[in-house]
Order: sequence, then structure tokens, then C-alpha cells
Amino acid sequence: MGLEMDPLLHAWSYFRRRKFQLCSELCSQLLEKEPGDQESGSEFTVFQAAWCLKIRALTEMVYVDEVDVDQEGIAEIMLDENAIAQVARPGTSLKLPGTSQGGGPSQAIRPVTQSGRPVTGFVRPSTQSGRPGTIEQAIKTPRTAHTARPMTSASGRYVRLGTASLLTNPDGPFINVAKLNLNNYSQKPKLAKALFEYIFHHENDVKNAIDLAAYATQHAQFKDWWWKVQIGKCYYRLGLYREAETQFKSALKQQDIVDTRLYLAKVYSRLDQPLKALDVFKQGLDRFPGEVSLLCGIARIYEEMNNISAAADYYKDVLKQDNTHVEAIACIGSNHFYSDQPEIALRFYRRLLQMGVYNCQLFNNLGLCCFYAQQYDMILSSFERALSLAENEEEAADVWYNLGHVAVGIGDTSLAFQCFKLALTNNNDHAEAYNNLAVLEMQKGRIEQARVFLQTASSLAPHMYEPHFNIAVLSDKVGDLQRSYIAAQKSEAAFPEHVDTQELIKQLKQHFARL
Amino acid sequence: MAATSSSSSAGESTQANSKWLDAHYDPVANLYAFSSCVTLADLHGDGEYKLVVGDLGTSWHDMKLKVYRGTDLLSENALPDMPASVAAFLMEQHEPRTPAVAVASGPFVYVYKNLRPYFKFTLPPMEINPLEKDVWEQAKEDKIDPLSLKEMLEMIREKAEIPLSVRSLRFLALEPPEMGAFVNQYKMQPIKRQTVITCMATLKKNMADEDAISCLVIGMESNEILVLDPEAFTILARMTVPSVPTFLDVMGQFDVEYRMTVACRNGCVYIFRRDSKRPKYSIELSSQPVGLVRVQKNIVAACSDQTLQGYTQKGKKLWTVSLPATPMTMSLMEQKSRGFQAVLVALANMEVHMYQDKSLVTVIRTQDVVTSICYGCYGREDNTLVMTTKGGGLIIKILKRTAVFDRGDASTGVPTAQSIKLNVPKKTKLYVDQTLRERECSVAMYQVFQMELNRIRLQATRTYAQALESSLTPITETLQEPLKMNAVVQGIGPTFKLTLHLQTTSATRPAINLLISFLYDEGLYYMARPFFKAPMLVPGLNYPLETFVECLSDKGISDVIKVFVLREGESAPLLMAHINMPVSEGLAAA
Repeated sequence: MGLEMDPLLHAWSYFRRRKFQLCSELCSQLLEKEPGDQESGSEFTVFQAAWCLKIRALTEMVYVDEVDVDQEGIAEIMLDENAIAQVARPGTSLKLPGTSQGGGPSQAIRPVTQSGRPVTGFVRPSTQSGRPGTIEQAIKTPRTAHTARPMTSASGRYVRLGTASLLTNPDGPFINVAKLNLNNYSQKPKLAKALFEYIFHHENDVKNAIDLAAYATQHAQFKDWWWKVQIGKCYYRLGLYREAETQFKSALKQQDIVDTRLYLAKVYSRLDQPLKALDVFKQGLDRFPGEVSLLCGIARIYEEMNNISAAADYYKDVLKQDNTHVEAIACIGSNHFYSDQPEIALRFYRRLLQMGVYNCQLFNNLGLCCFYAQQYDMILSSFERALSLAENEEEAADVWYNLGHVAVGIGDTSLAFQCFKLALTNNNDHAEAYNNLAVLEMQKGRIEQARVFLQTASSLAPHMYEPHFNIAVLSDKVGDLQRSYIAAQKSEAAFPEHVDTQELIKQLKQHFARL
Repeated sequence: MAATSSSSSAGESTQANSKWLDAHYDPVANLYAFSSCVTLADLHGDGEYKLVVGDLGTSWHDMKLKVYRGTDLLSENALPDMPASVAAFLMEQHEPRTPAVAVASGPFVYVYKNLRPYFKFTLPPMEINPLEKDVWEQAKEDKIDPLSLKEMLEMIREKAEIPLSVRSLRFLALEPPEMGAFVNQYKMQPIKRQTVITCMATLKKNMADEDAISCLVIGMESNEILVLDPEAFTILARMTVPSVPTFLDVMGQFDVEYRMTVACRNGCVYIFRRDSKRPKYSIELSSQPVGLVRVQKNIVAACSDQTLQGYTQKGKKLWTVSLPATPMTMSLMEQKSRGFQAVLVALANMEVHMYQDKSLVTVIRTQDVVTSICYGCYGREDNTLVMTTKGGGLIIKILKRTAVFDRGDASTGVPTAQSIKLNVPKKTKLYVDQTLRERECSVAMYQVFQMELNRIRLQATRTYAQALESSLTPITETLQEPLKMNAVVQGIGPTFKLTLHLQTTSATRPAINLLISFLYDEGLYYMARPFFKAPMLVPGLNYPLETFVECLSDKGISDVIKVFVLREGESAPLLMAHINMPVSEGLAAA
């Protein structure tokens, strides 16, 4: 009998070991008992403790780090009222990727996303497609994500993250938030904090959460920075960025901590003021020198502003502090890869492998690096492994696509043909594969086929200049100058610095002038 | 005159660091002239230079000789015909030395003194074909009728060495009913053959001074060049050119030694010296000349193939510069105080470029295309640039007295491009190590690679065959029905728009009798038309076929929808595509 643990301690132990399901069940049992055998004298009853623990367990189950989850919904992008300048000056906005100021590799070498930003080495929620220009682009399913954008970030995505309660609890939610007297709870600060997190993360009920936070901060006489940060988070969710900014700033005055700075910077980058966000981070670095999350935040903003070399510098700083930072390693690796140093990129990716990252994408990158660094004995084994690790068809499509590149590189066009077709089989929207297939067809002299593929590629990915340019060249060869000129102009819009396009346009203009 | 500056808008941005002051710009000065018809001269001998312009006018009758002082029009004289060239020259030694203005127009040179008509020089008449003369004599005596006159003239035109007169040519161009009247009108007048002046220049008579007496040098349509005596207007010399002269440049003194450079309509430049009846040297340009200027001892010609070419006076080519646009006209720019000489070339892109030898010294942007340039002393200002534009505007710019031109000013030569260092990343030590490894274990690496390559080939072929068998590819390869399909899903749910882009890749044959069907989880999705007939697919066109899919679940799950393209009467699909549906966000949000 003596060996029996106190059930509350047992539940606590489960919680510490992150066995939240068991913890929650044990707490439920405790709560079902009559709240009779209370120890008087202590501030909290066992009942309260169990309730609190259960709330925390439930919250932890669905907890997502609020700083990192940031994807703008369609409504926010298209109906953005916070934009300060419609036509921002270059280098002050995230909306205009513009020309690369950081001396990064050109578009011809490093591919770009839909919005004209170079691809990054690490997929984060906001790197998927940047800011689309039109509604149609916004609601088209992006290739890397399985879902279209959430309609608004305040509803869709977060509800789904928080729907755990609906699926797991058949009897309905644990707490009926609507019936709680929030004012009462706000009197008990320790309970209130747990309850707030539960309402905010588990129930995703921002309205009640902000009510609770407002009561609590009033009760704390506006002296508790924690509540201010929480109110700011709520405002941020509600899209009231300026209000969130004041809350975060006020909290920072009371207590300067990294997390608040990250939130504040997030508000600024949502307001499209990257320079101000950088300021916040850099002030934070003065206070907390070498803080990884701040350095990483700076690097991300530079990357989004298309200043690749500055971003790489900050990622290097991150690695100096934390040499197992996956994002930094991946970004530096891809940067080296696209600046013609695949052997160094290979080093970085190998480091990731040593750290235990073992997935399709990594082997895919390793294979490509080996190919471009001429380590022929490792190319195909990497790709083979990537194929076997591919979790879904999109990943497999990317592997086949890269294999197609290798096949083109060694001159085996029939293998390349098969690889690109397999990429298309796995992913019907693979515009790059369509383009390369068209090039192969063009070499075979099957012009009609090539044209069809190119048209498909250009309609699937209007942000890529290659299909437009190829159409222009093809039409020029056939003698369809009008179509060639139109396509060349599209190509120029996608990649203004492309010399071949400029040459072609010049040539066409001369031709038109002569007629 | 700089006091009345009406500064132009285009010059403002560069006003501060420009070497030129914008003295005057009048876009509606109504001056239409070429460089040959513009000159600067101290007409009254009071040290204030005037601008003399032979204005071509806008129609055939308002040709005028205009004289400007400062920004105002001083006088206007009507001209009977188009001016070909305008020159100011000293006729006699009397004090005060006031130059006369010679206006070449048609076969005449009109000489003005003190802006009043003074003398009219007529080119000597040319020899007339005796046969032609005979024929007209007969016509005069009414011995032949107009029709036979025409026949005879045509015969003469074809055979004779001396060309027909203008009257005969005009007669030949007439319709038969008009001939009689024409013959009656003109038959009594004596027949004449006259040539016209194409260009004119001046040549000092016997002294090299600024205010020495000058001869007029006239180029004619009849491939000849005349030198006229300034006082008596007698012909001092006569030279024959292989083609029609268009630009003349003369240096030296008539009585001592002179050198005459003539650009001709056939794209050649000929160089004459004193006492040479035939050209001494000849230069073949790459294209028709637009202007000819002599800088010190070199000849610079702007050609219509967008080049500027430099030659020595013996006809040796020195350099060629390609211009950014077609040259319109050119002129010499001489800054006497600094001993600086350059060439001003007006271009069709509304710029005036200044070249010293082959290096571009400066670029002047103008408001309109410049058609004539004249550089020299105007008013009391030594270095003035006068330009007239295509739209009839007048631009006057003054060179700042502090302005110094140096060769490298705005030159866009090759050397800058050569000195740019390419951003080639250095080869790392790692790379060198790897190459060492490659060298050492090349055989093993090759073997491993070949083995794996074969394995991959096998795997690819196998997978590909599998995909073909189950018609999984979105492209068919069969010869009968080459098809291509791709699908796009739009929307956020619960209703999605599914667009199938169907296209035949065959060049000639349309695809007919195709059916489309969808396979999906009926508990999860609803489709109004899960099976329909595709329209006839015409080659070269993309057919977007739209259907709507409704998601029935609110659980936030998604599934794959399969699309089949079938041939009527066949069970195996031609094409198949898997569409990964996005998660429906709409229901959850509602």
C-alpha cells in the first residue's frame, strides 16, 4: 500500500513525462471524487490542483508555439488595411521583393517562389508562397502545401489546430467557457493563467480569453507583464496590430524578455515594416547578446527582403551560438549550393544527417549536391534513399524531377524523359517538369508537343520565366513572331535581368521595325 | 543676351553640373533649317554677331532669310525659292568690314549687303543638245505636231549623251491632250538647260586672317564645283566631281594652296587640291554621309548607318564609333580660348553628342530632334551653341566659361567593361580535396556510379511501365490519342472548383468521343456531374473543363479524387490523374 503513489503526484509525473493523455485521465478520476477530503490551511485544494493540472495537460496536447505559427490568410492579404504605403520604397517592404540588393545569385541560378523571392532552404509557414498578387493566385492550391490558404488566420487554421477537443472528448468540452464567471477566476492569478492558456490554445476562444486577460490585468493593477503579452497576443489574433503593438511595448518596459520581442517583431512584419522589426531584434540583441531566436528572426527578415548575403551572415551567427540549429544549417547549405559551392553545401547537409534528420528532402538535397560536386558514387544512392523515404507523391515527384536533372546531365535523354514523366505522374502540377519535358521534346523536334507542355507550365507557374522564354524561342523559330513577342514580354516581367530575353525582344523589335 | 534666359524644363535637373547654360529656348520659333542654312556673322561690323537662317518654311512659298539678334527677330527677307545653303563672306576690303550674306537657291546665288539685296549670280547655262534644239525649232515653226515631237524627244533621251532640258522632260511627262497647249505656250522662248546648287562654302582669297576676303565655292547638281571671285563674280576655277557633291569643306587660300573635301551623294568623299581638276584622294564611306567636318587635319563624317568615322586627309581610315541612334546633322565645335576642337553630332534620339576624336566627351539632351547645329560667336558671347529643331524650335546654349572638357568625361569605352571583375567564387580547399579523391578512386567511383545508374534505370523503367499500364500518367503516348491533362483546384471550401485542362498534343487530328469520369469517396465529396462527355478537342487549343466539388465533411480531412479520361466503348482509361484535394476550410470557419 505504501508503494501506491499519491494520485495527484502520479498525474504530475505523467505531465512531466509529457504523457498528457494519461495525465488528463488521472485528473478526471480525481475530479470525479467528491471534493470532500480537503486539507485545510493550504491555499489550493486538491480539487483545484487537479483541475489546473488537467487544463494544463489539455493545453499542452494542442500547444503550438505562437511565435512560429504565422500564415496570413486570404482575407488579410487581399483586404490589408494596415499597409502604410501603397508603393513602398525599395528595401523597406516585404511586399516588393524587387531586385536583390544583397548580391545573391540571380533568378537564373536560384529558383524563385510565386512572389518572386528566392526559395529558402527551410520551409516555414510563411515561406510557402509569400504574398500573391491576385485573388486567383491566392486561392490556387500551392504545390508545397496540401491546403489552400486559410480564409482568415483568425478562424480556419487555428480552429483546426484546436479541434482536438471535439474529436477526443465525446462528452463535450471539459470546461464550458461560456458559463464561467471570468471575473471570479481573474481574482486567482495562478488559476487564471492556466485557464487563459486553455481558453486561448485549446478552445481557441479569443473573445473570452481577452475578457479574462482584461479582468486579470485590471486585478494585477496593470503591473503584470505576462497579462499584457497575452492581451497583445489576443489583439494580434484579432488583427488589431496597432493595439497589440502598444501592449507588447508596455510589457517590454516592465520586463524585457525575448519572447515579447519576438511577438513585437512579428507585429511589425505583419504591418509590413521589416526595418522596424529589425530594429526590435537588434535592440533585443544588445540586451541579450547572442540570443538565437533573435538572430534567427533577423536572418528570416533579411531573407524575405531578398537580402540573401545578410541573411547568411546572421544564420552563421546563429550557428556560432547553437551549432545544431536545423534552420540555419539548411539555409546556409542551400545558399552555398546556389552560389556555386556545392561541396560546402554537402558538408552542411551531412551535418544535418549526423544530427539525426532523416527524411526525403535531405537525401534529395544530398543527392543534388553530390551531383554538382562530382561525387558520382553517392548521387544515385542518395536519390534511391530519398525515393524510399518519400512520404507522399509530391516528395516523390521532386525526387524524380531531380533524377531527371541528373539524367540530362549524363546525357541519357530517355531516362530523363521517364523521370520527368514520373514526376508528372506523381504530381500533376509540376510546372518545372513540364518545362523540362518540353525542352526534351523540342530537341526531338516535336514542336507541337513542346508547345503544349510549355503552355501548361506557363499557366501552372506564371512566376517562372523559363517556360515563357522557351515559348518565345520556340515561336520565334517557327516564325510566329507575335506570339514570341508576347511570351518574351511575360518572361521579362518574371525576370527583368534575363539577358537572353532582352536580346530576343531587341531582335524581335528590330524585325517588327523592318517590316 | 544671357539675361533674358528662359530656362527649359529638361535642362533643370542637370543645370547645376552641366557645362552649358540654357540661354534661350523657343519651341515655336518657326525655324526650319539644316546646318548648311544657318550661320553666325557680324553683319553690321559692330562686334555683335547675328544669327542668319535660311528658313525652309512649312510649305512651298514661305521661304525666308531670317536674321536674329539676341532672342529677337531682326529682319526677314522673302526668298523666291528653297535655300540650299547660306554663307557669310567678306567681299571687299572697305572699312567697316561688313560681311555679305550669300544665299544659294536653285541656280542662283543671292547676295545681300546690309540685309538688302545686292547682287544675283546665275550659274552659267549648260550646253544644249543640238538635236533637241532642232526639234524645238521645228515645233516653233509648227512643222511637227506634238505627238511626233514627243517621239523624237524620247529618242533623243535614250541615245544622246547630253541630257534633255527641263522643258523637254516636263513635256514628256504630259498627257497627250495637254501637249498642244504646252508647246504653244513655250515654243517661242529659247531653250535653256540649267543646273542647281547643292552646297556652298567659302574660301579665303589670299590671306589667312579672320577678316580676309573670301571666295564662294559652289557645288552643283551637274557634278561640278565652281570657285567664284568675290568682287566680280567671275568663275576662278572649275572642278569635276564623280558624283553630286552634298557637303563641302574647304581650307587654305585660293591664291596659295587649298584643300577641298567634298562628300558626295554616292557615299564617297573626294579630296581636291589646288590645280587638280580631278580628285586627288577618294574615301569610300560605309554609307551615305549625313555630315562632314574637318577637325584640324582629320576628316570626320557621320554616316546614316549610325557610325561616326574618322579619316586622315589622305583618305586613311583612323577609327569608327557606332552611335546610339541615327545622326541628323553635325558641326564643328571650336573653343578657341582653350584650343579645343570637337565634333557635335545631333542624333534622332533627341541627344547631341560631342566627340573629341573617337571618345565621347559629353551628351546634351534636347527637347526635340535637332536638325541644325551652329557653334560660334553669337551676340558678344564667344562660345554659343545654336540649334534648331525638327518642330521649328530654336535652342541657344552658352558654354560656361569655367567648363573644361576632358576626354574621359562621359566615355563609354570598352576598357570599363574589361576591368569589371566577375564574381566567380573561389574554389575551396574542400573542392581540391574532393578532386584528389576523384583522382585516386576514379575507377571505384565510376563502377559504383554505373551500377547504380543501371539500377535506377531499371527502377525508373519499371515504375514508368507501371504508371503506363495503369494509365497513371497525365500524358498519353499512344499514337491515336496523344492527350495531356492537368488539374487545378481552386477555392477554400466547402465548394471547390476543379478545372481540368485537357489538350491534344497531336498536330493535325482532333480528339473526339472522349468521356471524363471521377472516382471519389461519396461520403466525403459530392459532385453534380461525376461523368460527362468531353467536347471535341481541336489541336493547339486548351480546353478548361470546370466542375464543382462539394466537401461534405467538417472534420478537416481530405481525400484524393481520381479523374479518368476514357475512350467511348473502351474500359481501360486513356489517362488518369490523382487530385489531392485541399482541406475544406469553409465549413470550419462558418
